[in-house]
Amino acid sequence: MKSKLLNCGYRHHLFLALVLFVTSGTIQLRAHPEFQQFIVKHSGRPVNCAFCHANADGPEGAGLGQIGHLTAAEQAELVRARTTFEPGAKLNSPILNAFGNHIINRLGKRKFLELRLAPAQLAETLPKDSDLDGDGIPDVKEFLAGTHPLISSDGNPWLLFRANFRRNLTPIALTLAATVAGLWGLGHLLHGFAVAARLKDDEAEELNP
Amino acid sequence: MKLPESIQRAEAYLAERFPVEKMNYTSLVLKKEVPIHRLAWGYYLGGLALFFFMVQVVTGLMLLFYYQPTVSDAHASVEYITEHVPAGALVRNIHAWASSLMIASVMVHLLTALAMKAFGKPREITWVTGVLLLGITFAFGFTGYLLPWHQIAVNATKIGLQTVEEIGKYLPGQMAAWPGQLKEIIQGEASVGQATLSRFFALHVIILPLAIAAALGLHLASVQLHGMSQGVDEKPRRQEKFFPNFLLKDLSVWGVAFMVLFILGLGLPFESLFAYPLFEPFNPKGSTPDGIKPEWYFFWVYYPLELLPLWVIMLGQGVLGAGLMATPWVFKNTNRRTLQLIAVAAGAYLVVMTVFGERIYHLFKG
Repeated sequence: MKSKLLNCGYRHHLFLALVLFVTSGTIQLRAHPEFQQFIVKHSGRPVNCAFCHANADGPEGAGLGQIGHLTAAEQAELVRARTTFEPGAKLNSPILNAFGNHIINRLGKRKFLELRLAPAQLAETLPKDSDLDGDGIPDVKEFLAGTHPLISSDGNPWLLFRANFRRNLTPIALTLAATVAGLWGLGHLLHGFAVAARLKDDEAEELNP
Repeated sequence: MKLPESIQRAEAYLAERFPVEKMNYTSLVLKKEVPIHRLAWGYYLGGLALFFFMVQVVTGLMLLFYYQPTVSDAHASVEYITEHVPAGALVRNIHAWASSLMIASVMVHLLTALAMKAFGKPREITWVTGVLLLGITFAFGFTGYLLPWHQIAVNATKIGLQTVEEIGKYLPGQMAAWPGQLKEIIQGEASVGQATLSRFFALHVIILPLAIAAALGLHLASVQLHGMSQGVDEKPRRQEKFFPNFLLKDLSVWGVAFMVLFILGLGLPFESLFAYPLFEPFNPKGSTPDGIKPEWYFFWVYYPLELLPLWVIMLGQGVLGAGLMATPWVFKNTNRRTLQLIAVAAGAYLVVMTVFGERIYHLFKG
């Protein structure tokens, strides 16, 4: 029984290794630098593989989120992601980040591969209202602006400021009211001290003219 | 026993600079007046710098509760502060914005003090301690920049320390080794690493705060004992009471500064001004991202450094440093109109290099 199980696990790993070996020859293609090049050219901002991938240096290598670092379960998920071409499969490729997986899940791999020839169309094809990091800037706009769709502190400064200002209007209004009231009160207090000091001064002058 | 003449002279000099007999309620509060004239807005800048410094102390202490000064945990602890600590992102962002605003207000304060000839006798020590405070503030900026241990922090620090070492090429004989040794002392090991982070952390949270407390104490004591300088050549026709009129206006400026800082802290993450790869954890084996440069307040020296030979910059820095320290004696007989022109020219240079420095660099280097 034990040897049968081991044998089964062995065969499973052998299959995965075979699939990874066959697909590894096309890894450069799978990193899809066309999109990165488009973002840099369009936005003028430097971006790296971490825009869509789990690792900033891309899928190749033995680092966290790279092919050489995957567990057996993650390898199986990677194979499923690489062999599923239609949208809506709820994939969670371990070498992609949430934005990368969002693209594949929404468009499907076939469409995504087609878009390599016209990366700008990715912005038109993705859902306009999706905002994965919740920073108030839709992912599509972040894609075009070269800001990270998963980092809420990264975005067009003006758009971020506008979104955050609107979101925090209540604390801002309360803090403003507290500051104005504090200064008003402090002003009266200091004026009171000044008047008291002047009176004391006048009294002293009257006593010792 | 009669003291030697040199000690007597020093005593008289200090007594004139620190008239302790004025250290009483009547002189410091009741009788103190502030001139009103077209440059009177400059009187608020020192207080503004002090306000930003106090914000830095408070927010810095809050960050200390969570920050871990180790190369393995520094970046993660900063991320933890930003993402998991209640109001952590706000406190960190206010710390980042206040550092820039403090340096900006200190720089403008120095220029207005120059334009108003606020260094004239007996305020020489006020000026010298002010220049020291400027240097300490820059050192705060430089050491604080490394602490989050991200790509731009470590790589910019490396460039800064490399520049120190390169000075050795222009020094004669044994002196040529000194900058390299200085770099090693600051760095603590062969490359920027744990020893550097520990040293910068110690400098940022203990040594520089002690230094600034000493210099600030002298600076503020001198300012309070002498009051505001006249500021303009012709004697101001109007004066206002320091207490409570000027103090209240000063506090109102602080209130406005606080609101600006609060809104900036809530609304505009400091990182959004840079590309995100610069804020990834530093990886010694990974590639260096594009766009590594120092903080904006070093652009006035950084871009010329990229364009001109190092010796020209070092010479310029030496002359500037010595000139700033010696200003009360060098410009002793210069009228305020000339000083205003110098201050405006220096301010224009700082603005142009800060805003257009990169474009100027590309214009010459292609």
